[in-house]
Amino acid sequence: MSQEEVDILKRALERERASRKAAEKILEEKSAELYEVNKKLEESHAELTVLYNKTSSQLQGVFENIVDAYVIMDLWGNILKMNEAAVALLGFKTVHDEGNLSTLVHPKEVDKVEPAFRKLFEEGSITDFKIKIRTKQNISKFVHINASIIYEDGRAVAAQGIVRDITLENEYQRAIEAEREKYRSIIANMNLGLVEVNNDDVIQMVNQSFVEMSGYDEDELIGKKGGELLVADKSSEIIQKENQKRLKGQSNSYELTVKSKAGDIRYWLISGAPNYDLKGNIIGSIGIHLDITELKNLEFQKEKLLHKLEKSNDELQEYAHIVSHDLKSPLRSIDALVSWIREDNKDKLDDRTQENFKLIQSTLEKMEHLISSVLEYSSIGFEASNNTQVNLNELINDIEQLLYIPDHITLKILRELPTVKVDKIKMQQVFQNLISNAVKYNDKEKGMIEIDVEEHKGMFKFSVKDNGVGIEKKYHDKIFKMFHALNKNKESTGVGLSIVKKIIAHYEGDIWVESEINNGTTFYFTLRK
Amino acid sequence: MKNLNILLIEDDMIEVMKLKRASGSLNLNHNITEANNGEEALKILEEKENLPHIILLDLNMPKINGIEFLKILKADDQLKYIPTIILTTSSNQRDLLECYKIGIAGYVLKPLKYEEYVSKIEKLLSYWSVNELITT
Repeated sequence: MSQEEVDILKRALERERASRKAAEKILEEKSAELYEVNKKLEESHAELTVLYNKTSSQLQGVFENIVDAYVIMDLWGNILKMNEAAVALLGFKTVHDEGNLSTLVHPKEVDKVEPAFRKLFEEGSITDFKIKIRTKQNISKFVHINASIIYEDGRAVAAQGIVRDITLENEYQRAIEAEREKYRSIIANMNLGLVEVNNDDVIQMVNQSFVEMSGYDEDELIGKKGGELLVADKSSEIIQKENQKRLKGQSNSYELTVKSKAGDIRYWLISGAPNYDLKGNIIGSIGIHLDITELKNLEFQKEKLLHKLEKSNDELQEYAHIVSHDLKSPLRSIDALVSWIREDNKDKLDDRTQENFKLIQSTLEKMEHLISSVLEYSSIGFEASNNTQVNLNELINDIEQLLYIPDHITLKILRELPTVKVDKIKMQQVFQNLISNAVKYNDKEKGMIEIDVEEHKGMFKFSVKDNGVGIEKKYHDKIFKMFHALNKNKESTGVGLSIVKKIIAHYEGDIWVESEINNGTTFYFTLRK
Repeated sequence: MKNLNILLIEDDMIEVMKLKRASGSLNLNHNITEANNGEEALKILEEKENLPHIILLDLNMPKINGIEFLKILKADDQLKYIPTIILTTSSNQRDLLECYKIGIAGYVLKPLKYEEYVSKIEKLLSYWSVNELITT
């Protein structure tokens, strides 16, 4: 081999060596780079792992701590995983218990399961699914489920769902429903007509009773104005006025005259109250209607009767006047005729006949007196407007002036008499009758009449006491009856005490007598304070 | 004292006799015309030439009663000036008020006793005989 050749080879080797070195260096460099990258990858992997673990445990926490029951099941309903809430809700003992959700469905509701599963698979989720279940502890519950399918590589592998116990909610709802039903039934069946109108008096709702009361069908009523449909005379104005009150939020009752579909005039008592919406705005009113036609008719009847009674009382009084006139006229004529006979035959009649004629005339007088008394008794009319405050002390003084009280009889008021609200003339009649009786039937040398008063249980008890002849016990009741004068003399007609009794009875008082023969009599009577 | 022309409207015969006898026994020479009811009286009063000085009127009468008669009288332009005295048994307050409302010259209650009657009539007639009266 030549030198040249050797040199060439040497140089070639040299170059080779150099390029290998360069390659080695590059390799070295690359390897260092790789190492770096690998190191970085390792770091980021570690970070990811941490992150993953963190997230996973977070999810686990969420899963475990979620208030609602959370369940993961396979496609056949077998529980794969559940949280504590689910354990409690479904009646399991621990989260590791095994079970199939479809076996928990209430037997009455198994039909609901299949369609729900189908929906879940076809649509990937199901919401607002409500079903009754029976838990492991055999407790019936009503639950609400939202569920969705879990996919792996696009393939359904399981399903997860949140289950909520709405048993209570459901019970509330049912209770409200029951209440509503109860009131609906009350409203439908009560005898009171119920109407709901809006602010323009347009009928929104009526119950059966109102339909019957008005004679109109429900269809004929709803959408109409109550005031226009059922109006009778001025009712429409009244309804408008009452509706104004509702707008102001006032409730009250009023009477209304209405015309039913058949054209009958009926009287209704209406209790109206404003109707509010949920926000508290007045949206109309609710009226409860009671048909008071019968009552009203009774009231009218009563008024009519009262009117009739008043009239017949009036007529009776007139009648008494006429009768008394007609009865008195012949007496006057007899008296005149007797007078003339006596006058014309002054010298021809003997004493006995003259005496008898006198007797005829005094009998006539007595008869006239009787007729007057009957008239007086039957004309005692009471009018409340005649009642005034009467001072009885003054009244007695007046009577003393009016009556003839002989000198041997003294009239005394023991305790001061009250002032009472009565008809003065009537009260005068009472005392005058009692005092004049006491005067008339006094046979003592020193006669005395004592008037006294006691207060007793909201009543005044008056007494008029004398020391006269007295009244036998057997007559104590009789003396208050008409025409029971015990002494048949000219002035006693037997009407005075019945008038007294009638007046006292009018003031809701009592009258009675206590007496002892020869010792005197006390008349007692009571008056309300 | 002048003699009065009196129209007595009274349905009761004995009442008529009473007035006549009382007037006679008092020696009064009044001229008493009787009418037994309101209709008769109205007929008498048609004779305007010879109207009575006073009228004594009973209230309780058949057909036209006293108050109705009084109303007819007071509605008449000429007759309304004749003093009319009620002579009645009715002490009914309503009658009394009604009569004074329509217009009367007196209201005398007939007493039971004839002597009292005579005394009342005497006073009544002597009162009217001293009065100046419308003459036709």
